[in-house]
Amino acid sequence: MKRIFLFLLLSALLLSACAGGNDEEAAANAVEAYLAALAAQDNDTLVNLSCAVWEQGALTDSAAYDGVTARLEDAQCTATGADGDSLLVSCTGSIIATYSGEDRPLPLDRVHYVTVNEGGDWRMCGYK
Amino acid sequence: MTLTHILVFCGIGLLTAPLLKANARRWLLLVLSILALYWLQPATPIRNLDFWLPTATLALTISAWALTRQSSPTRRDWIAGMVAVGTVLLTAATRHTPALCCLTPSRPPQSWQVLLALAAIAVVMLTLSRKQNPANVSLALGGGLLLVMLIVLKTPALVQTASALLRRWSGQDPALASALDIRWLGYSYIAFRLLHTLLDKLNGRLPEATLGEYLTYTLFFPALAAGPIDRIQRFMQDLHAEFSLDAGRLLLAGKRIVMGVFMKFVLADGLAVFALHPNNALQTLAAGWMWLLTYAYALRIFFDFAGYTSIAIGIGHLFGFTLPENFRQPYRQPNLTAFWNSWHITLAQWFRAYYFNPLTRKLRQRKWPVWAILLPGQLGSMLLIGLWHGITWNFLIWGLWHGLGLFVHNRWSEFMKGRAPWAEQRWAKVGGTLLTFHYVLLGWVWFALPEPEQAFYVFNLLFGGSA
Repeated sequence: MKRIFLFLLLSALLLSACAGGNDEEAAANAVEAYLAALAAQDNDTLVNLSCAVWEQGALTDSAAYDGVTARLEDAQCTATGADGDSLLVSCTGSIIATYSGEDRPLPLDRVHYVTVNEGGDWRMCGYK
Repeated sequence: MTLTHILVFCGIGLLTAPLLKANARRWLLLVLSILALYWLQPATPIRNLDFWLPTATLALTISAWALTRQSSPTRRDWIAGMVAVGTVLLTAATRHTPALCCLTPSRPPQSWQVLLALAAIAVVMLTLSRKQNPANVSLALGGGLLLVMLIVLKTPALVQTASALLRRWSGQDPALASALDIRWLGYSYIAFRLLHTLLDKLNGRLPEATLGEYLTYTLFFPALAAGPIDRIQRFMQDLHAEFSLDAGRLLLAGKRIVMGVFMKFVLADGLAVFALHPNNALQTLAAGWMWLLTYAYALRIFFDFAGYTSIAIGIGHLFGFTLPENFRQPYRQPNLTAFWNSWHITLAQWFRAYYFNPLTRKLRQRKWPVWAILLPGQLGSMLLIGLWHGITWNFLIWGLWHGLGLFVHNRWSEFMKGRAPWAEQRWAKVGGTLLTFHYVLLGWVWFALPEPEQAFYVFNLLFGGSA
């Protein structure tokens, strides 16, 4: 039994140690997930992907899509640089907002997305 | 439970039934129940709460087991503990595997936090398991803690305060706290299963259960989110019974699942579009439409709840369990007492066993008159059932509505004994059924609308008043 316990403990520690990962990739993935949640109007996921000071901003972002159907199209994000402690991310693709049968594309490449590492995860923290 | 969850559970049931022997089946049920605890947990806007709430459920269950066991933990108990820990670690490890992430709605917390939490649970379990047959005070304190947590979760102001505290702890803005933030999967049902074991331990009626059996009983995944509230004595019989998924059982399971899916996802979800709701209630200006909305709500709540229960019972059959029924044609019952023997049966039985019967027994010993025994018993039971749904005025009034209704029915039945030979005639039974249905229907108005003022508006319109 002690062996089982030690095995589990070592496995967990090993997984943690190997979890370093690529910050740029993690930041880009966080923004992609944020945009997907925005299109899906999934407020809980939006909030979980946002830094603390951006939480209200995320909800405001989501409110902009009330009354429309939105979908994410061809979104691809990459980290483009650092700004102090934050990483800047650029994205291509668009969010297609549909209202009364009419599609309106909202390009994703018009702003840079600011991400910060908070609580061990990279999170969306605003636009630049 | 979504359709995806149902399909996956059915698939696992069908695949494993012919392959697993009894012992392997019991371990599978334990692991599945713990995994389902995390998988079924809804998303929350508080960071990592969708991981910590299931972990807290696990901690409470293990602690309750430690309080109720009658002998020292055995090797089998420690293995069950390790299996539980391993399952939690596996769930947490999906944080590091983006391709497989995640069982929980959001990315699990950092590994060191998970390890710290599991270590704390282990310390609590070791401390509680030092003493065999803990004193009644410990059991009472355990029950008290479960009830306090239930009260906090069901009281809007308290749960909002709790949300603000959790947000502060997780580094989020407490000013954005809402009473809807803490969505603890199945806590009401889990708490009542745990309370049942603590109370039965106090009364000397609890059978010996290993940690694995206790965890599987409390967290049994088909019944996790919305019951039924099974008894551990009955559950363990099924857990240890010989099981083979024969044609008869398969057909029964399939019938219940298909029926449940149709009731919940077709009928209930279809009716939800125009069933009585705070948004549409105040916009309705005509009595006819208001009656339609109210009838739709009565049907919707039945199809939703009974459908869900049917799915749970069907999935239970696939794994060898005959879960108790929760509904027995409630809207066809001839009186309110019969209604409450047919609606959410397991909850009503729980309150009968742990509130109504003990209270009335005590009052009978003091030779109180019958009406004085029944009134606090029936009224109290229904008030508590109302508050179990939420500690708000509308649920309190709904409980009062049914408690008084039950009392009046009981006294009326007593009065009419021997005085109503016509009572057995068909027209009288149909009349009774219609009267009961409409009494329950009007009671749903309190249940559906969070503010009493909204309910008054609805009643006014229903009975001829103007908008």
